[in-house]
Amino acid sequence: MTFGIRIFILIVGTFIFMMILELVRRRKFREDLSVVWLLIGVALIFASFADRLIDPLAHKLGISYPPALGFLIIIFLLVIATLYFSIIVSDLKSRNKELSQKIALLEYKLNRLYSREEGQI
Amino acid sequence: MKSYLIVIPAYNEEEYIEMVLKDVRNSNPDVDILVINDGSTDSTSEIAKRMGVMVLDIPFNIGYGGAIQTGFRFASEYGYDFVVTMDGDSQHDPYYVRNLIDTMSSEKADVVIGSRFIGGVYRMGIFRKMGVWIFSKIAKFYTGTKFTDPTSGFQLLHNKVFSYLAYRDNYPLDYPDVNIIMALHKMRFKVVEAPVRMREKIRGKSIHAGLRPFIYVLRMFLAIIMVFLRKED
Repeated sequence: MTFGIRIFILIVGTFIFMMILELVRRRKFREDLSVVWLLIGVALIFASFADRLIDPLAHKLGISYPPALGFLIIIFLLVIATLYFSIIVSDLKSRNKELSQKIALLEYKLNRLYSREEGQI
Repeated sequence: MKSYLIVIPAYNEEEYIEMVLKDVRNSNPDVDILVINDGSTDSTSEIAKRMGVMVLDIPFNIGYGGAIQTGFRFASEYGYDFVVTMDGDSQHDPYYVRNLIDTMSSEKADVVIGSRFIGGVYRMGIFRKMGVWIFSKIAKFYTGTKFTDPTSGFQLLHNKVFSYLAYRDNYPLDYPDVNIIMALHKMRFKVVEAPVRMREKIRGKSIHAGLRPFIYVLRMFLAIIMVFLRKED
């Protein structure tokens, strides 16, 4: 990697990391959900030095084109992140159903109570 | 309060709901009727309320299965003995409720599914047809009974069954299929079919038309595998 590319990746990585931090600060993100993204942000900052780690590792694993290992690691991380958010969406969907059903039942009871009261007056 | 509750899920059915409710009332005077308005954006709910039946308004559309489950919850909470489910688009003929009830007592069943296909045929694409064929074979192998119309929304359920299905994810949000029949069999409930007449759909659009057959087949495989993998609870 040339020095220029290293600096470029460092700047982009840092920028994304700062953006995520700012989003959390402004409460656009819930803190618990942002942890995954902050980890990805940190990884991006270190990506500018990743070749130091990835090149020898790729040689050891017998991968002739080291960047392929870099992509593989990124793909794994993204799959895990997507899975994590899918689990959260599933959970939210169940809760949403539960809530809407309870609201429907409660509204029915409330209306009945009201009409009974009106009947007494 | 009566011991039978007819649950009718309805999503934007303002055209048919009045006719459906009149039919149901005329043919079954001794039952309570509950319309589940599944987030309709038209006047389904108002029309049903004007007809004097009970109406539950779900604040947004949660899907056919979710709406039915709301009816099960209601029935379980208010202590009904039996629930009949019917679609709100006039395709089920309410005069056949009697058939379901007779079959339940003669077969000592816990669930009776009204089938329009005992002696009839399906009209659908080849991929889906293959899927349905395989699923019905699996269900037959597992339960020992042949089910000709497992997606039928015209059903009669005993209190012990709907009280179980009423909670958590025991009932699917979208459309119940052979997987529910298998899950009920696993719970040692007796599920049988009874012939019913269904009217030709006036609108012609099936509730399953939008479902992509490929996804449907994959999902059903997953659902059936889950019946085997999940512990009895």
